[in-house]
Amino acid sequence: MAVTADGHGPTIALDGARKVRGNLTHARIRWMILALVLGFGVIGVRLVQLGMVETDSSIEGQARDIITATRPPILDRNGLEMAVDIRVPSLYAEPRRIIDVEEAVRKLRTVLPDLSEDWLRQRLTGDQGFVWVQRELSPAIEEKVMRLGIPGIDFITESKRFYPGMTEASHVLGSTNIDNQGIAGIERHMDGEDVALLQDLGLARGNALTPVKLSVDMRVQHVMHEQLLDAIQRYSAIAAAGVMVDIYTGEVIALVSLPDFDPNVPASALVKDSFNRVTAGIFEPGSIFKTITMAAALDSGAVKITDQFDARFGVRFGRYTIDDFHGKHRILSLPEVYKYSSNVGIIHVMQALGKERFRAFLNTIGFDQRVPFELPEMRLPSIPKTFSDVGAATASFGHGLSVSPLHIVTAYAALVNGGNFIEPTLYKRDVADAQALYRRVIKPETSAEIRYLMRLNALEGSGSQMNKEALGYRVGGKTGTAEKVVDGRYSSNKVTNFFGSAFPLDNPRYAMIIMVDEPKAENAQSGTTAGWNAGTVSGRVIQRVAPMLGIAPDFAKVLDENLVPSVLR
Amino acid sequence: MIRNLNIILIFTSMLMLAGVYTIKFAIENTASERTALIVQIDSQQGDLSLLKADEAVLNQPGHIEPIIRRHVAALAIAPVRQEQFGSFVDLPMRPVKPNMAAMDSLFTALDAGIDPIDAILELEGIE
Repeated sequence: MAVTADGHGPTIALDGARKVRGNLTHARIRWMILALVLGFGVIGVRLVQLGMVETDSSIEGQARDIITATRPPILDRNGLEMAVDIRVPSLYAEPRRIIDVEEAVRKLRTVLPDLSEDWLRQRLTGDQGFVWVQRELSPAIEEKVMRLGIPGIDFITESKRFYPGMTEASHVLGSTNIDNQGIAGIERHMDGEDVALLQDLGLARGNALTPVKLSVDMRVQHVMHEQLLDAIQRYSAIAAAGVMVDIYTGEVIALVSLPDFDPNVPASALVKDSFNRVTAGIFEPGSIFKTITMAAALDSGAVKITDQFDARFGVRFGRYTIDDFHGKHRILSLPEVYKYSSNVGIIHVMQALGKERFRAFLNTIGFDQRVPFELPEMRLPSIPKTFSDVGAATASFGHGLSVSPLHIVTAYAALVNGGNFIEPTLYKRDVADAQALYRRVIKPETSAEIRYLMRLNALEGSGSQMNKEALGYRVGGKTGTAEKVVDGRYSSNKVTNFFGSAFPLDNPRYAMIIMVDEPKAENAQSGTTAGWNAGTVSGRVIQRVAPMLGIAPDFAKVLDENLVPSVLR
Repeated sequence: MIRNLNIILIFTSMLMLAGVYTIKFAIENTASERTALIVQIDSQQGDLSLLKADEAVLNQPGHIEPIIRRHVAALAIAPVRQEQFGSFVDLPMRPVKPNMAAMDSLFTALDAGIDPIDAILELEGIE
């Protein structure tokens, strides 16, 4: 019952029982609504609060996906694995969940005694959500640690790069760091392409990645690696390198540089002495450069294969006289200039061409820029912008300028394949794709003459040591013995030796450069010039790899006779 | 009537409650099974990756060559030389027609009871 009094004197108002009950019900409903609103409000606020919480999925600043991301396997041209991913457990801790740090430290050190006690204690103390304890462990250790049953200690499966070929293709592959990022070689190049993007998107997981096929043939790579190791020992050399390319597609079949490193130990990849001498080393090429000078002169028409050159006397430039090493000192025909590797003869050849046109040809054949190639380890060649008279003369036989072996092999490929410059590549490429990239540098007829000269040099000249080893495979090549500059002077006992070759010359397929740095004579009967070391190494490599590459030996004389230009027959 | 309806509703809701809980537990079971399977697949993929890496090592020419070298003496093998390669061109052509005269003489000899192979076997000392 409700009694209301207003200002006009005492009045008694009486509500009916029904009205009173109605009011009460209204009040109750209001209270109920309030309670419900409050209740749902609390739930709503909690939901928003939960929604705001950011779960920390990063691992020491990096997204978890990147750590567990995989890289595509790398295969050689025949499908043999050169790099694969293996899954390895990595031990981590969540310090904020560790109850007894001392116990955890003590127990962990029973399985991992290499860990320093202080370091571990410091690592496990604190309020972080994630710290690495040790990465890339074996499954056996994982089992043992799990048996310890320490709270706040757990494993995460990481992808680790593994290179089954060990050191053999180290400079091709490069290496990856512990976070699975490429730090050198093709691995680094791949990161620059699209793998990094995939990993960022978190897509590069599982085994869904298509394998990357390289142009390298592991069998050839193995033989070259083995022969170069043998060469270093045999000739007490300080370094050796070699590269073989398919002359029509520009595919690199093998690329070795010694000393090398083990890609499974990434730290060793960045040691200074193990740099890639094929791509990142520039050297004075010595006489193998004469092939290029010859090609330039023959192609321009300034000299003909039937021409003769006076090599009786050295060439004088002011105070300097350039003379031949073991010179013939007579009039030489053009093939003889090449065969006897006459410096005097080649200077006359270059002078007939003219130094400007010679310099322009070097530009045409790509010696003024880095070779367009996938590996990140590249260096600019060093060739004077313009040649002085004496500069052009020394350049004609490969002194006073520095290029990488990859430059030379690219040039050799173009000179023997009919005159088409093709950029080398480490990825598979077929002839049709390559033909779209061809750039003509010399005429096909000049290319035929160069093939003849190279074969002639193998049969009768400085390449005969090589030819003895690779009999039947129609190899042709040119030696180059470049004296090193020691204390500002050319030294005759410290040399860098090259052998540039192509085979089989009746139907050329491959070009190769072998370099041996500072070789000594193998025995008292042998010498230190390139024919003795770089030449024989080339011969031994070809002798073993030619059958693998599908080249059968053929001893028919007619093949060599067919190479001789008709004007000389 | 309302009372009966309420009773029916209460029973229905209790039944549905039981149903929901059953489904919830069933789902939890399935989820834990799934997690266990994922872990198993993961560890098996890990093992597989190790096996594949092992296989890749065993297939490397650099791994095979030392094995060959160890067995050079036992198996009497050597690297192939250029002279050992042959081609179909080197094979002699098949005779245009069989040598009838030689066949005839062979058959007459056999008929006479003389087998030419005996002479060769005797020469080699084989009975």
